[in-house]
Parts: sequence; structure tokens; C-alpha cells
Amino acid sequence: MPACAYACGTADHSVSRRAFLGSTAALGLAGFANPVSAKDLAKQQKRVIVVFLEGGLSQLESWDPKPNTDTGGPFKAIQTSVPGTRYCELLPLSAKNAHRLAIVRSLNSQTDDHGVGHTTMLTGRKPEAGITYPHLGAVSARMLGSQEAALPGHIRILPKGGSGFNGGDAAFLGPKFSSVGLGDGKPPADLFRPANLPASDDEAREAFRKKLDERFAKSRKSAATDAYTESFVQAERVVKKAEVFDLDKEPSKVADKYGRHDFGRHMLLARRLLEAGVTYVKVSHSNYDTHHENFDFHIEQLAEFDRPFAALIDDLADRGMLESTLVVVMSEMGRTPRINDRYGRDHWGKCWSVALAGAGVRGGAVVGKTNATGTAVTDREVWSGHLFHTYMKAVGVDSTKNFYPNERPVPIADPKAAAIDEILV
Amino acid sequence: MAPAFRPLAAVLLLVSPALAPAADPLHARVDAHVAKGFGEHKKHAGPASDDEFLRRAYLDLVGTVPTVQQVNEFLADSSKDKRAKLIDALLASPGYARRMAWFFDVTLMERGKDAKVPRAAWEAYLSATFAANKPYDEFVRELLSNDGSDPKTRPAAKFFLDRDLEPHIVTKDIARVFLGRNLQCAQCHDHPTIDDYKQAEYYGIQAFLNRTFLFPNAGAPTAVIAEKAEGDVSFMSVFDKNKKLNSTAPKIANAKAIEEPKAEKGKEYKVAPAKDVRPIPAYSRFAQLASAVTAPENKYFARNAVNRVWAMLMGRGLVHPVDTDHGNNPASHPELLDELTREFVAHKYDLKWLVREIALSDAYQRSSIVPAGLDEVPADRYLVAVVKPLTAEQLAYAAMQATGHTDTERVAMGAKGSESMLDIRLAGRLGPFRAMFGRGADQTADDFSATLDQTLFVKFGSPVRGLLPPRAGNLADRLGKLTNPDAVADELFASVYARRPTAQERQDVADALKGAKDRQTAINELIWALLASAEFRFNH
Repeated sequence: MPACAYACGTADHSVSRRAFLGSTAALGLAGFANPVSAKDLAKQQKRVIVVFLEGGLSQLESWDPKPNTDTGGPFKAIQTSVPGTRYCELLPLSAKNAHRLAIVRSLNSQTDDHGVGHTTMLTGRKPEAGITYPHLGAVSARMLGSQEAALPGHIRILPKGGSGFNGGDAAFLGPKFSSVGLGDGKPPADLFRPANLPASDDEAREAFRKKLDERFAKSRKSAATDAYTESFVQAERVVKKAEVFDLDKEPSKVADKYGRHDFGRHMLLARRLLEAGVTYVKVSHSNYDTHHENFDFHIEQLAEFDRPFAALIDDLADRGMLESTLVVVMSEMGRTPRINDRYGRDHWGKCWSVALAGAGVRGGAVVGKTNATGTAVTDREVWSGHLFHTYMKAVGVDSTKNFYPNERPVPIADPKAAAIDEILV
Repeated sequence: MAPAFRPLAAVLLLVSPALAPAADPLHARVDAHVAKGFGEHKKHAGPASDDEFLRRAYLDLVGTVPTVQQVNEFLADSSKDKRAKLIDALLASPGYARRMAWFFDVTLMERGKDAKVPRAAWEAYLSATFAANKPYDEFVRELLSNDGSDPKTRPAAKFFLDRDLEPHIVTKDIARVFLGRNLQCAQCHDHPTIDDYKQAEYYGIQAFLNRTFLFPNAGAPTAVIAEKAEGDVSFMSVFDKNKKLNSTAPKIANAKAIEEPKAEKGKEYKVAPAKDVRPIPAYSRFAQLASAVTAPENKYFARNAVNRVWAMLMGRGLVHPVDTDHGNNPASHPELLDELTREFVAHKYDLKWLVREIALSDAYQRSSIVPAGLDEVPADRYLVAVVKPLTAEQLAYAAMQATGHTDTERVAMGAKGSESMLDIRLAGRLGPFRAMFGRGADQTADDFSATLDQTLFVKFGSPVRGLLPPRAGNLADRLGKLTNPDAVADELFASVYARRPTAQERQDVADALKGAKDRQTAINELIWALLASAEFRFNH
């Protein structure tokens, strides 16, 4: 067992704030004081990054090409680093990394709707009235996150907009695990000390607040008041780590490797966050909803995707983080094999592909088959429920266990599905 | 107290004899029940001190903290009945309606989106409801009977309209919000572990609604509720291997099913369905819902209301959590809950009366300070007052009052200013607090959490920082003009904490001012330190 019980990532830990606070008090700060154990914790900690290609990536222009068929479009399929496995030529750098990637080509997500597809893919559940399921990010933060982490466990990097918090995506797991959204990779609101509050003034007022809180806790200590005062300690840690959000800290060579465009910056930020101990990062790349000019759009979009994606995989591998970081490339759906009269492809959930890499993933594996023109799954059909189990298993979480919101058992993943073991080690 | 209700209350009490004589006021009987519930526990906290009580009563009854003048007057008052007088004064003040409107807004809508009934109209409706102390049953009948077609009363239809009349959501929320029964599981099967949550109960509620739909369509912001003349609910348990299809007539909990007239062929509609026409059935199931939910035979209706009001004031429901009323989760004080329920009905669902009786009890007025030697404090015994997190609205209004912002707004309004005008002036500052702290149902001591963004908001956010610097008449301004450090401490603690500072705290303030480079800046940040502290964040 690791020295710190919080790193174990099982359903048993951190169930209640009370238990957590109790153990923190008992442990004191020993866990931090010892750099060896901190390093061990970092090694054991599993992380997840989801690259979400918004609008619906065409499986035919990426992981499941069908060249020289009615539906295949103009592009070639190219050799990858795995003999016998071919990707579309729009992904030359990913093809070189194919031995690290596993592809699921037989996904039937059963919806052609952006909103439903998005939720289904991230929760591994079909929509049900009356219950909202937590997103993969919230579940990951809940199951894998260290209670002592300085940074929030669930971060989404969005193409644009401001930073914000999404109370909804953690559902019954509670706001602690809901996402912090970083619009255009900007840091969270109010992260930086205002200019009119010098550090010395901030320290003085914090010292006064602590004195007040300590006095108050002598007579009225409760789990809730402890959680509140503890939140200032956590905020302090994040403020001290604010430079994680500052990409200027990266050598310019690295920034070049990721690409000097928004998505490149966002992927680099994602790597920095993972490295700093964030459990789950979702990076969105927009937009693949190519009802018109599907092929031109995919040339542009995938050129923008391929380089930073390869850079991320390489960086994670170089840092020894790939074996503890699950990487998933998904969309809310795929695109129709049929090419419409505007050279576009439309919404399509019936058979499309998802790519995985990293923690627990068998590099080079390809599971599932579609027919010659990509219009139907012919082998090993799965849906997003299977994928959710697979993600969990890949990072060592028993997805058949339950959460207990309001004392009602809710399985971590849909019990009607199971993990796709063929792509797991 | 309305004497006319007494005989009825007495008769009802004969059915199940209470611990104390029925002639005792309800708050005395509350205390008898709570005392009985101490059981083995020998020790409990004594009465709250005057300052503890004062701040608690203000936050609970009018949703904000007292002004410095109110603090000074109350603490100087030596009359024996000053607590009861304060309670009555607060309940008679406009702040009571504001506080209850906040509470019921979150209870009913759980901070969902404002889509079809705008927030301002809804809040105005709630304010008027509680200013008039409308009986609770009448209020709920308005909520559950309004189809949204009359623009004048449309805000009352918000419960349905802003849930898009989605049948499962509305069914589940009627059961949770008005009956305290979270029947969610029963949508698909009888509850596996809770014996009395049945699928038939769930669909009994849904049968009132299954013929309704939004007209002209669910997406229209002006949509109203329309109804067909036919359609029954059918349901099958997902656990049933025989796949037996069941049905039920409209029925609430333990009440009898509603008997329905047989519609004569061809006369099913008053207004027949046609393109772009809102149909009106001859017999409306929807119209039966409000009276069925609020009927005295429905034993959960009043019980849920008193339990929720109790939880609002006491920090914990007698049935806890408040939407899990079932046989496997008995009330912590079953006789007390029964007695409160009976009396609430006997007093014609008078919420203000109920709030007053609970606030008058020793249990409510107990100190939150854990006495020495009491190691374990089981929350459900009420040995020590529960420390409650402030709601988003309480936090905003308390912060604005504590920093003197509200005072400056009152001065700016002049003598003719009203509370509703004040609300309009404060709305811009309330908004960011609501967005930051108001997520879903209000937090209780049990499920409290402080998220990173909330704490960063308190630390560095401009809505909080904006309250600190001096403006004519606000706290920083007043403190800046005081030269004696003890006077600074006294005014600061009275304004933010509604109490006097201890000798040590006076010393701390003096030290902080002595070492300061810039006195006014130091004062501003001292105000922040108190605002950001746990003593301010909670109602204790």
C-alpha cells in the first residue's frame, strides 16, 4: 500500500468529506514534506486526456479509410507503424504513432444528434429522464484524483469563451468534481491577485482570517466549517501554481512542435496541466461538422490536429507519463459514408471510430470491423457504454462498482455493457 | 396566534396524546419532544447568547445580518421577552417575505433555467405570496393548477412550464418537492430497498399529467398547458420477467384513486383538437391534481412542508434528507413531526405561525458552541445548534449589509424608498453571488462544499472586493474616521459579526492597525478577513 491512502484511487477512499478531514488531520503534512512519497504518488496517479473533435470527425478520413470505394472519398490510406493497419493519409504523424494507438472501428453510438451524442459519449449512458450521469471528467476526478492535488481535477479547454465552472457535468458527484472550463486556454477567473492588492497586504489579511478561523473552530468545529477554511489552503496552492497556465514558460521550440495556432496552444496547455497533476483534461478542437466540403475541411482540420496530437503523445512518452495517462480521441458522432451533393458528409452514429492510447491500452490494437463501404459494423459492435467501461478499466477503476447518491446504487458505468478487453493490456 | 383554531387543534391532539399538555404553546411541546429525544445523552448546549441568537434570527427570518444600530439596541435591551419581540418584529418586517421567497424559489425550482416564466415576475409573485402570508395549501394549489394561459397569474405556472412539462421530471419533482418522496427509482420498478416507494405511486401521480402537453409547442416561450381527453399511463417493471403491463388511475400516495366520469362519445371535448387550436377536454385530469396533492387525506403534503421549514431553521430535517420520507428512513423525532404536521393543518397551513413557533423553541435558540465534555454530537438529536452554510442570497445580502453597502443604498433612496426598490438597487450585486454560490438546491451542513472558484471569488473577485473600499457612510468609511482602535474593533465586529469583539480581538485589531503602512487599506482588508472567515460564511 502507498504511504498515502488517497492515491489508491479506489471507490473506498474519499467517500465522505468527514473521513477525509479526519485522516488529513491525522496525517498532517507529512505527505508533502517528503519528496520521495510525492514522486511516488505522481507515478501512481492515473490521468485521462480526451481530445474531443467537435462536430463529428469523419471516420473515413481518419481511422477507418475506405479508399477506392463509392463512399471512400478522394484520399489514400497509408501504411502505419503497425503492419497491416492503415489510416487515412491526412494523419501522417498519427500513423507513425500507430503502435501506441488502439482503434475501435465498430462503434455504434446510436444517435445522430450533436447534444445527445456529446452527452452519450462522455457519460457512457443513453439519456434517461430523471437522472443525470456524471461526465467522464467528473468520474475520473472523483476516482483517480488525489485529495491533496493543488489543481482542480476536471478541466476542459474550450476553443473560445471565458473561463467558467460547469456545475452540471459532475451530476450527483457534486460541484467539487465539476469541470473548470478554460475558454481559449485562459486561466480560471480570479486566479490572479488583483493589482491593487499587494502580496504583503494579502498575507496580512490572510493571517488575520486564519486567526479568526482558528478561534471559531475551537468552539464550533464542524466538517462544513473545516471544508470551508480548507478551501482557502487549496486556493492558495492553485494561486501558487498559476504559472502552469502560462505557456510562455515553455521553450519556443516546444511551442513550435505543437504548432503556433489555438489548438496547438491548447494541447500544450493540456500537457502542462497533466504534468502538474490534473487528473482529467478535455481539449476540444472545433469544428468537424462538415455538411459541406467535407474533404477540404478535413484537410485543414486534421492538419491542425495531427501535429499537436503527435507532439502530445511523444511528450507524454518522453516524460514517462504515457503509461499512466489514458489518451482518447473522440467526437459526438461520425459522418455518413454517403457523400452528399455538396461534397459533405452528414451526421452518423451507426458505425464510426475512436482512438485510444496510453494507460492500460494495447498499442497497435484494432478492434471491430465495418463493411467495405463503411455503412455497417460487421464485427464486434460496441456503443459508448462499452467505451466507458474500457476507459475505467484502462486506468484501473472497477466500473462495475456503484456510486451511492441519496443511498441509491448507481453503477459507475452502464451494467448493460462491459470493457473491450481486446484493446487493453 | 389565532385562538379560533385552538379547539380543532385540541381535538386532533386527543387522537395521539402529546408529551406536554395540549394547552402549552407548540414551541413548548417542541422542546418536550426534543428533550425526550436526548435519550442517553446527558449533556447539551445551553441557550445561545444574545448575539448568537440575534444573528441567527436575522439570517433565518429575514435573510441578512442586522445593522450596527440593531445590534446595539438588541444587546442593550434588558427586557425579558426581547427575543420573542425580535422574532415578531422580524416576521412583521418586509424582510420575511424576501427570505421566504428565496427559500421557496430554490425549494420549488432548484435553480433551474428561467425559460417560460421570467425571474422578475416569479419573484414578484413569491414576494406577494409571503407578504400576504398566503396559506401554504392555497399557494400550492395555485402552483399546481395554473395552466399559464392567464398572463396575470402565469408566474404561478413556473413549476410546470420551466420543467417543460416533461412528464418524468414533473412527476418526480411533485413527489420530491411536495411530498418529500424521491420516487425516482420507481419510474422503472418498485424501489429495490425502500418498501413503500412503489412504481404504482409514481404512475399514479403521472396519470394526472399524462394527457397534458405544451401548446403550441414546448419550445415556445409563451407556451401554455393544454390537455387531451384521452390517454392512460401504462408501466411495466424492468424486473418483471412476465412483462406485465400495468395501469393506474390518477392517485396521490395513500389517497384513493380519483373516480372519473365516463365521457360520452362525441362529447369528450369542450374545444375539440384541431390545427393551431388548444383543445379543452370536457373532463380534465390536470384540474384534479392540485386538490389531490393538497387534500388532508394525503398524509405527506403537510408533513413535507413542516419538515422542510424545520430544516430551513434547524439545519436538518426531522426526515433527513428532506426528500427521503419512507419507512426505512424514519423521522428522528416521529412524534414531533406528527404533532407539527397536525398543528400546521389545524392552523390552516399558516407558514408564518409555524416559523414563529419553531423560532420560539429552546431547541432553535440553543447555542452552537459545543460544550466541554460533549465529544460526540449526533446531528439528529439537536444537542447543539447546527451550523448552517448561508445560501447564495443570504451571503450576498449579509455581505452587502456587513460592509455598509446596503446602508448607503438606503440613504441614497431617501425616506420614500421601499424594500422592493432596495432589492432592485441590490440586484446587480446579488447576481454574481447567485451565479457563484447558487447551484442546485441550497446546501446543508451535511453536503456543504466549497469549490475553488467560490473561494477565489471571495479572495480576489471584484463583487467582493468592490464592497471593501470606503464610500460615504459605508463601513470602511465609518471605520476610517474612528481614531480609537477599540472603537474600530467594536464597529467592525458589530457590523460584520453582529457581536462585540473579545479583548483579544480588540488587541488583534489594534496590532493590525499599528503595523499598517496605510491605515485605510488595512481597515479595508480587515473587513475582508472577517467577511471571508467561517464565522461569517455560516449561520451559527
